[in-house]
Amino acid sequence: MFKKILFATTASPACDHAARVAFDMAGRYQSDLSVLHVLGVPSRGFGQYVTDVRTGEQLVPDEDYVAWVKEEMKTTYAEQLKQCPGCTMEAVAGIPHTEILRFARKTDADLLILGGHTKDRENEGYTYRNMAGSTLQSVARSARCPVLVVSRPAASFWGGFSNIVLGTDFSKAAEHAFRFALSAARQLDCRLHLFHALDISGMHAGKVLEQDEIEDRLRDSLNTMRRKYVSQMKDFKNYEIDAWEGVPYVEIVKYAREKFADLIVMAHHTGSRDAENSALGSTMEQVVLRATCPVISVNHADKVSQDA
Amino acid sequence: MAKKILIVDDDPNITSYLTEFFEDNGYATCAASDGREALDVAKKEKPDLITLDLEMPDEWGPRFYRRMSQDPEIKNTPVIVISGLSGNQYAIQKAVASISKPFDRDELIKIVRDAIGDGK
Repeated sequence: MFKKILFATTASPACDHAARVAFDMAGRYQSDLSVLHVLGVPSRGFGQYVTDVRTGEQLVPDEDYVAWVKEEMKTTYAEQLKQCPGCTMEAVAGIPHTEILRFARKTDADLLILGGHTKDRENEGYTYRNMAGSTLQSVARSARCPVLVVSRPAASFWGGFSNIVLGTDFSKAAEHAFRFALSAARQLDCRLHLFHALDISGMHAGKVLEQDEIEDRLRDSLNTMRRKYVSQMKDFKNYEIDAWEGVPYVEIVKYAREKFADLIVMAHHTGSRDAENSALGSTMEQVVLRATCPVISVNHADKVSQDA
Repeated sequence: MAKKILIVDDDPNITSYLTEFFEDNGYATCAASDGREALDVAKKEKPDLITLDLEMPDEWGPRFYRRMSQDPEIKNTPVIVISGLSGNQYAIQKAVASISKPFDRDELIKIVRDAIGDGK
């Protein structure tokens, strides 16, 4: 588990909390950690210039500049590197999500770590802060391995994993997320919380449910969890199951907070059958942005243990 | 008997500074250098208040708080987060207060007094 971790970073303060988790995990789980910075962040096309992330200057990414950026990365993460002396630093020019995915393939990474936003745009208003960054969107869609996102600083204060929440809506995609969560819980000796949020947001649009009906559905959800998941867990007993009604992303964030979860695992998009072309699901996106712990998105089953 | 404060911090300079500061203000103190040790000390000493760092070598502050909140004897002990990490006010939702390092001693002692009263 987590043998090869790729941490994609701007090496700026916006990624500090993701860095805290990445380096802590590498030290704690003896992982090979690669730190990748994609130079530039060009807005479109394949230009010859890159924009320096700190100064905003337009520069040609020649050998000297790349070497200098790597040195700057080492300086930025000097403290963390003391704990992870084997960690490698790489800088390449290109479109960030393309290069991150290319590097992940090349190094056969089994986990990718990103921040929720690569830029810190405090003054750009509610809409920006309410959306996952575009690089994260593209990487989470196409990565063959699970993607761990640390969006808020408060999500980086745990130091390892011992309490995993799986948010499920019982879809096929959620099955992969379950297998990954169970495998992580087994290998890292964690408590696994299987959680389903019953969506009653339609109540405000006039789709009223009687309380008896809500509670019937919650009971059905618990039984579905027993049938679909608990039955596959064999000798693994360190789990609990819960179902709450509400707006799903709110309930998942609340549940994780209540259980002191240090990791949430969810499917990238549960409503879509086409993993290659689906955006980060709306519930997933909000959980990523709001959770007080890291969130892992599982989209493809390639790196997910099949022997749950 | 003086009210007791448990200081949890991996930096010995902070621990000794806080120990002296609280004792000068009439409180008794005990200390631990990480979350695991802190739980043992908290169970043994039953402090009236805990000051908690977030990032520590082995067990971090929020994990200690989780384990502490599962122990009926110490779960209601007020906690003040003292940390240099940004966003520390969101680390432990039920904390009495969160203070960033470097901190103002007057502000800290006011929070302590509001939470548990004077030392004696």
